[in-house]
Amino acid sequence: MSVPVSQMFTVASYVIRQKLAGRKRYPLVLMLEPLFRCNLACAGCGKIQYPAQILRKHLSVEACLGAVEECGAPIVSIPGGEPLMYPDIDRLATELVGRKKYVYLCTNAILLEEKLDLFTPSRYLTFSIHMDGLKDDHDESVCRDGVYDQAVGAIRAALQRGFRVTTNTTLFDNASPLRMRQFFDEMMDLGVEGMMLSPGYSYSKAPDQEHFLRRTRTHQLFSEMLRHPKKGWKFNQSPLFLRFLMGKHDYDCTPWGNPTFNLFGWQRPCYLLQEGYAPTFRELMETTPWERYGRHSGNEKCQDCMVHCGYEATAVDHTFSSLRALGETAVVTLTGKL
Amino acid sequence: MSLEGYVPEIGPHLTLAEVIEFAFDYRGNTTIVKADGTEVVGYVFNRNDLVPEPFIQFFDEKGDGPFTLPYSGIATIRFTGKDMAAGNSWKAWLERKEKEKAGAASASGIDPDPDPHGR
Repeated sequence: MSVPVSQMFTVASYVIRQKLAGRKRYPLVLMLEPLFRCNLACAGCGKIQYPAQILRKHLSVEACLGAVEECGAPIVSIPGGEPLMYPDIDRLATELVGRKKYVYLCTNAILLEEKLDLFTPSRYLTFSIHMDGLKDDHDESVCRDGVYDQAVGAIRAALQRGFRVTTNTTLFDNASPLRMRQFFDEMMDLGVEGMMLSPGYSYSKAPDQEHFLRRTRTHQLFSEMLRHPKKGWKFNQSPLFLRFLMGKHDYDCTPWGNPTFNLFGWQRPCYLLQEGYAPTFRELMETTPWERYGRHSGNEKCQDCMVHCGYEATAVDHTFSSLRALGETAVVTLTGKL
Repeated sequence: MSLEGYVPEIGPHLTLAEVIEFAFDYRGNTTIVKADGTEVVGYVFNRNDLVPEPFIQFFDEKGDGPFTLPYSGIATIRFTGKDMAAGNSWKAWLERKEKEKAGAASASGIDPDPDPHGR
């Protein structure tokens, strides 16, 4: 596993503080969407299908910072839309780094190389590059030829300048375990700090509805991919989450772990489902009927979901719930064996 | 199936609350017909019927807002804007790729590979 010690310490002390305070529900990663506009229209994405006047809008930096303060999570993930199309992305990143938030700027990297000058390397700032597989697979996933090569060029440039760079990969049911293993080799050869993996979610608004993973197939795919992980592979995420994807743990969703803030407010109940918006974080936490969500609730929309924004916070919470789980995490982290 | 172009008739078989639910799920602009007969075009992004006075929230066609309107102030909602989620860009892209591949293969005299990943 590749999460830096300082970041691990920040997350660990934050989670322990929540537990000592007796908080059952707490945020771990704020999903901050400053805009919905994007320069790609990926087949599996349900985030960008809005009328023009909505796509033209974006949050102010002040609104973003207000949400960050209100939420209090130690990690801020900035997806979208494409965050590098956000006109104030440099100021937002600087402000968040100044507040010692660990920022994951999630980008398709098309604009990254030309915008690198806007940023300063920091242990708090990571470019999380969307890479869905090897060249053909990635270009097919983002529905545009040449994007993989652009992203690889941008990764090299960012690494050369001393930025933290990770990849984030969404897997669909046409993923080949063998090709994914080759992809892991290729990303590690590039020199990225670590990789993040997640199965895709069946967005009802996504153009491609045929290729979302079901639960059993997810276990099978991740088991085949990760059964004998190579020593050089590094994953920038909870090892227990990866073991969950392999079918070695049975978790339920903690949608409050990754709350989402965007133009419409605080999204209920999670990053993936849009069942309404609350005006404040407090109202989101206090008035969302959480018992209606997650696999164990019986909610049909949650049955096949195993996405990191619902389950990674569960895995992190589990890590600090017992000595056994902490020991398991430590062993996997040290040995690299999943 | 898209609701684009749908003009709901509120009556015994269809309530205003149901139409609002459709509008909330619709990824396009709608025309909100107010109880006083005036109309406004916009994108309905939220509704809340769990409060004493249920309401919708929307941005208008110019992007101004958000505006809040109580259910009691709405006569109906028409689905007049393009449904932005109704596209088939992924399928169109795959078809274009297949055509390109078939064209390249016939030019070289080789049968096109039926599996783009060689699996």
